[in-house]
Amino acid sequence: MANYFNTLTLRQQLSQLGKCEFMDPSEFSDGSNYLLGKKIVVIGCGSQGLNQGLNLRDSGLDVSYTLREAAITEQRQSWKNATENGFAVGTYAELIPGADLVLNLTPDKQHGAVVTEVVPLMKQNSCLSYSHGFNIVEEGMHIRSDITVIMVAPKCPGTEVREEYKRGFGVPTLIAVHEDNDPRAEGLAIAKAYAAGTGGHRAGVLMSSFIAEVKSDLMGEQTILCGMLQTGSLLCFDKMVENGVEPGYAAKLVQYGWETVGEALKHGGITNMMDRLSNPAKIRAFELAQEMKDIMRPLYLKHMDDIMTGDFSSGMMDDWANGDKKLLDWRKETGETVFESTESSDPEIPEQEYFDHGILMVAMVKAGVELAFETMTSAGIKEESAYYESLHETPLIANLIARKKLFEMNSIISDTAEYGCYLYNHACQPLLSDFMAKVDTDVIGRGLGLNDFYVDNHRLIEVNAAIRNHPVEAVGKTLRAHMRAMKKIV
Amino acid sequence: MNTIEFNRATIRFNESFSLADIEWRIAPREIWAITGANGSGKSALVATLAGKGEIMSGSIEGIPPGVGVVSLEAQAELIERERERDDSDITDEISQGTPVAQMLDEVSTNSDLLDRLIEMFRFAPLLGRGFRKLSTGETRKVLLTRALTCDPEMLVLDNPFEGLDADTVPQVREMLRQKSNEITMVLVFNRFDEIPDFVTHIVYLENGSIKYKIETRDSSAVEALSQLLHLKKTDIEIPKADLNEKIPVLDDSSPLVRIRNASIRYGQNTVFQNLDWCIWPQQHWQLTGPNGSGKTCLLNLITGDHPQSYSNDIFVFGYQRGSGESIWDIKQYIGYVSTSLLWEYRVSINLINVVISGFYDSIGLYNEASASEKRIALQWLRLLGLEGQADQPFNCLSYGEQRLLLIARAMVKHPPLLILDEPCLGLDDINRQLILALIEKICLGSESTVLYVNHHAEDKIKGIKYHLSLG
Ligand SMILES: NC(=O)c1ccc[n+]([C@@H]2O[C@H](COP(=O)([O-])OP(=O)(O)OC[C@H]3O[C@@H](n4cnc5c(N)ncnc54)[C@H](OP(=O)(O)O)[C@@H]3O)[C@@H](O)[C@H]2O)c1
Repeated sequence: MANYFNTLTLRQQLSQLGKCEFMDPSEFSDGSNYLLGKKIVVIGCGSQGLNQGLNLRDSGLDVSYTLREAAITEQRQSWKNATENGFAVGTYAELIPGADLVLNLTPDKQHGAVVTEVVPLMKQNSCLSYSHGFNIVEEGMHIRSDITVIMVAPKCPGTEVREEYKRGFGVPTLIAVHEDNDPRAEGLAIAKAYAAGTGGHRAGVLMSSFIAEVKSDLMGEQTILCGMLQTGSLLCFDKMVENGVEPGYAAKLVQYGWETVGEALKHGGITNMMDRLSNPAKIRAFELAQEMKDIMRPLYLKHMDDIMTGDFSSGMMDDWANGDKKLLDWRKETGETVFESTESSDPEIPEQEYFDHGILMVAMVKAGVELAFETMTSAGIKEESAYYESLHETPLIANLIARKKLFEMNSIISDTAEYGCYLYNHACQPLLSDFMAKVDTDVIGRGLGLNDFYVDNHRLIEVNAAIRNHPVEAVGKTLRAHMRAMKKIV
Repeated sequence: MNTIEFNRATIRFNESFSLADIEWRIAPREIWAITGANGSGKSALVATLAGKGEIMSGSIEGIPPGVGVVSLEAQAELIERERERDDSDITDEISQGTPVAQMLDEVSTNSDLLDRLIEMFRFAPLLGRGFRKLSTGETRKVLLTRALTCDPEMLVLDNPFEGLDADTVPQVREMLRQKSNEITMVLVFNRFDEIPDFVTHIVYLENGSIKYKIETRDSSAVEALSQLLHLKKTDIEIPKADLNEKIPVLDDSSPLVRIRNASIRYGQNTVFQNLDWCIWPQQHWQLTGPNGSGKTCLLNLITGDHPQSYSNDIFVFGYQRGSGESIWDIKQYIGYVSTSLLWEYRVSINLINVVISGFYDSIGLYNEASASEKRIALQWLRLLGLEGQADQPFNCLSYGEQRLLLIARAMVKHPPLLILDEPCLGLDDINRQLILALIEKICLGSESTVLYVNHHAEDKIKGIKYHLSLG
């Protein structure tokens, strides 16, 4: 199998990457009717599998589950998830041949094997769906030409997909049709009905392409989302301890700081996150971020280039073939860092203190989000995709770090994200070492300690304008308006 | 234990609520009952004994270290703790939660008493079940058991009998009576008639301040207070339905609900089986049964919130379940209130929009509300005496007030089927009378069929003639 993206002409590549459009709610007026009465069979009953299936069934659709033989005979958790919720469960041979729509919701790394086994059992003119396009785009999986291939990717963890549905809402969702596999031109109709069945249409659906989804997803997860937060955690912690901040406090500030900062980001973008700082601190954070952006820009470009050429995924797939040697070594290394083994101290840190003492962390989030966004859009990815894969997901990873710190965060995220995260971290730490040598605990650990909050008006206006006029803020404002669940409705 | 002293203490809980100027002495082995209207600060006052709230002025001294607490706040904390422990959003393990046995073991120091309580509450089959999987009444029993068996110097129980089935209440009351000779207790009661005879003192709160403190020996004072609490609300008027809302008309010749041979199982555990039930329009039902008998499961089969709705033979509002209808097709016919809704309603929203969300069957509001919806919602707020707070955040209200609001949410669209699962839990006497009167009126009208679940014999509703008992 060859990398699918690389088989396309430049023109095709650019047109696929640039595919991304926010769909008007009226496009979903038919709800999930297109799939009414069709047999939907889900492969895998994990986080996405179970929760998407529950929603689809509650939307009136016919859902059952197929699991690998061993999961059924050993009555594994996936089998329990499905049966306790009253779903029919069967083997591939029992269920796949009758399916009109097969949802592949197994882990990405297994897609090659699972799809190869399942597709021969699928009936003529049926449809195969993914929630992430790695297998098609990077592994170049070919699917029989009578089969329609689509993607419906909720931009949230499975439990949230379910919770929001039960409230009468949904989570933002990305859909795509694989153009090489749309023989009856019904891919879009199926994807829309499926997205509506999960409730996604209420929170905003983005029409994208497999390629745009995969390339932007890879870029986001390895740079700002997991990479920057990992590198930032280690650098900030080490700096504080080196300069005499109590280690328990330093560990706590870092572990929970990303989440607190991320919460501000989630509700009001970079602007709101920066507005949580005092004026002098905001100007400092802005300047630190500018400096870091200049230092890190070549690294972001390199990640984007490696993702585009396929070098990243072929390197990673070599490691898969080699029993995950590198990945596991790097994971171990993460587990052995001092940050990881330092117990966070007990006393609560007041919410505002996370900002006041974490100016550098705020600057890192700003630098990382903006750089990832700028790099993606300059590579031809549309702003909406770039937003979802950078700013939108940052709070989710920040929340993981708050709950699990780095080692477990890495074991929980997909192998693809984890592998990329380590690559980034290994390059970024040395890159920032001169910069880190210059900063002190006033920006990380102790705060500016000012009595006088004087700022120059002109400078403040300049800084505020630069923050607010960044393109990620404009697109973010529009997209967040669609996710009304987060908005306090007055 | 020493005497606890509140010296002109002003204690702040959130932007909109503080207790003001509290003067109060609790001597060892006194048994205090706290009463007052919903929102008057009863729960806040006892929460101070568990170290909650921020003391703005004055002081509180002498609170002993070992306090056994039962309250909705304590319950909320445990539920929150379970949520934090639940990693199912990031792993593919769907969490079963902390089992009851562990919840009890982690605090209990008195194993004899623990065994007695397990017996009395008939807990044995539940010990392996996850805490969040328990019914409302079972959850209360876990909390009571934890509080009683941690060898406390003082017990703080916010409505200790609430949610318990009728035959357990006397047993718990008896157990408390025995304890009353040994330790200090502070008990909150929403209902005056629940105050047990071993109580030595009563506090009556109003708007965050102590209005009266009386000794129960003083019978004339008790009499006066009881009259104060039974002032009747006169002449209530139910706000009209929104004429612009179009709930599709149902066929009168078929039942609203028909359940045939239904059963609910979790693994080996059968909650009920072979259950048949038919609800015709204008046949109002009362549903009773001990804690854990499956009342909530049964209701969730009707509302579509139970996953086993799809594996049972259920016909609701013209739909045979599993034939292509969505749960929103079904929910449009239902108004629903229950304790679990209170826990699920965790979105940032203001009061008026909570009521409006009843038109859309949603938790939170995701649609633009129409002018007539807003007008009707305001009428409901007025009826509940909350119109001045229409724009306040929902989560700043007391639990009792939150429940009032959710009842209004359930009634606001005049649904063909109104399901009230223990609606009066946590309501003070006056609000309870108001709600009961509302339900009675609805039963007399012709728009809604009422399905009413409750434990309290006194809370009977006149128009209800049909009765189903589980367990
Ligand atoms: N998690 C997210 O936030 C998220 C968001 C959007 C999209 N996605 C995408 O959704 C898909 C599923 O992800 P997930 O997080 O839901 O995965 P998951 O929770 O790990 O669940 C995977 C399921 O697949 C089964 N499985 C594992 N290996 C298998 C194999 N070799 N053959 C057959 N079945 C196998 C597992 O059950 P047994 O091991 O018991 O067989 C399990 O039920 C992925 O494509 C992912 O990229 C995830």
